[in-house]
Amino acid sequence: MKNTFKDIVKPVLVLGCICLAVTAALAFINSVTAPIIEEASRKEAEEAMTEVLSEADAFTEITVENAPETVTEIYCADNGEGYVFMLTAKGYGGDMDLICGVKQDGTIEACKTLSHSETSGLGSKTAEDAYRNQYIGKTSDTLDSVDSISGATISSTAYKGAIEDALEAFEMIKEAE
Amino acid sequence: MMTNLVIIVLSAIFINNYVLSKFLGICPFLGVSKKLNQAVGMSLAVIFVMLIATAVTWPIQTYLLTPNGLDYLQTIVFILVIASLVQLVEIILKRYIPSLHKSLGVYLPLITTNCAVLGVAILNIDEGYTFVESMINSFGSGVGFFLAMVMFSGVRSKLEGADVPKAFQGLPITLVAASITSMSFLGFSGVIDNLFA
Amino acid sequence: MMNKRQNFLKGIVKENPVLILVLGTCPTLAVSTSVTSALGMGAAATIVLLCSNIVISALRRVIPDKVRIPCYIVLIAGFVTMVQMLVKAFAPALDDALGIYLPLIVVNCIILGRAEMFASKNKVIDSAVDALGMGVGFTLALLLMATIREILGNGTWMGMEIPVLADNNISIMTMAPGGFLVFGILMAVVNKLTGGKGSKKSFGCAGCPSAELCGKASCEDKDKEAQ
Repeated sequence: MKNTFKDIVKPVLVLGCICLAVTAALAFINSVTAPIIEEASRKEAEEAMTEVLSEADAFTEITVENAPETVTEIYCADNGEGYVFMLTAKGYGGDMDLICGVKQDGTIEACKTLSHSETSGLGSKTAEDAYRNQYIGKTSDTLDSVDSISGATISSTAYKGAIEDALEAFEMIKEAE
Repeated sequence: MMTNLVIIVLSAIFINNYVLSKFLGICPFLGVSKKLNQAVGMSLAVIFVMLIATAVTWPIQTYLLTPNGLDYLQTIVFILVIASLVQLVEIILKRYIPSLHKSLGVYLPLITTNCAVLGVAILNIDEGYTFVESMINSFGSGVGFFLAMVMFSGVRSKLEGADVPKAFQGLPITLVAASITSMSFLGFSGVIDNLFA
Repeated sequence: MMNKRQNFLKGIVKENPVLILVLGTCPTLAVSTSVTSALGMGAAATIVLLCSNIVISALRRVIPDKVRIPCYIVLIAGFVTMVQMLVKAFAPALDDALGIYLPLIVVNCIILGRAEMFASKNKVIDSAVDALGMGVGFTLALLLMATIREILGNGTWMGMEIPVLADNNISIMTMAPGGFLVFGILMAVVNKLTGGKGSKKSFGCAGCPSAELCGKASCEDKDKEAQ
């Protein structure tokens, strides 16, 4: 009897207690940090959006039928300044996440790389200001004049293609109106 | 749909190779790759455990943790599930398929604390893959591990007879060889995503 | 009993977890691309190591031998998740930089290895000192790797540009092959400095928690070869 307790009951009991204690501690910390995490990620997303569409005050997510696959999310500025497009393009090293703000008249206000896994020193240059600033003020007609980065054709083409898709989605919104 | 799955499996094998580009599962890669038969046994065990680990952890995350807002228990639940699963598989193999247990069994306990297995389970969730995509990704990751192990055991057998400077003997030269092997895998990036574009 | 100072210092030099014991190679190679993420990883792992060592040492008489590994894993996973939540809440940039490697601290051999080899046999204070020493040793090794890789590969150090090098960076150093290469060369330097005695010639299995199980597989004959 004593051996059953020592060999079977005690190990199970101890392991169970430890699991319970750890879970309780985690639940407590989660209840403290969860709101902070949510607030931080909301703020981060909002900051990125305001950066590419500075005149906008607040954003509402909208859906567009048959929008290009690259366009993952579309946000409409509440004060009618324009739209913000979240884009995922297939780059050289994997997915590139971009954000692009388009003003009501169809010109790009700014675009930005949120995350990428391109080759550092080549494709990674698409994330730098020198490259992305080329898009400022472009429309679907003048987009061709953006220069690619030499040695990083795939990254540049993917970037430009994603921006083209954003403008295409923008046209779709306009047509629907 | 099919192209998507093909892209997932090919990227898992070549571009995002767990060992050579994500640095997951380095311990067995350096430790067990000395002989070809050990490398094959270990990698087959890894493929096997990755598949069953995904088959179990994906439903747990999707139907148990996420709906109940228990996402934060992910790490702890996954590691426990994987550890007990490995134990269970070992017992079942020993009882019913002794021949398979003989060839894979010794590697199974090693895999419990292998970061590649926990890594694939967590990455499947992070990437937002569906169940089928997760299984395919796990299979691809396992095959990628297999490929790296087998290739590298070939490289290492060449190292045996090489005249290596004293300070570089053993682990250092193995790491340098791993560096060159992983360099060869860099050539794959960019190829596969654009294969079907 | 060795004194506290020696106990602390052994983790940094004589038994450095990365360079001498060759444990925790995965995170070492993966996060040493930049000094900032190396420091973050080092700090996160040190905190987990410290907490787990203290708790496991305090519970060493309560935990039955049979279930000790599952108990350690649960405790370590718990602390890792806590650190993960705190990092997400207060340092989201670090969370992005470490990514998958943050939850993977659970399977870092250093932590389970120290629990099994030290904390389960020693007093709370000694275990805490041991954890600090090992943690600092791990962080310093990471820092060394990251410094080399970031300066050569990116021409920066903690984001600060270094003249000349910034325009002539060897970007492969921050990619996967660079990680293996720098680590290999560091190991060779350690070999040279210790006259080949300090570092194991073969891949270390002694510190691995599954060493006894693993002994059946491959470590046994490998260790024999090493001798």
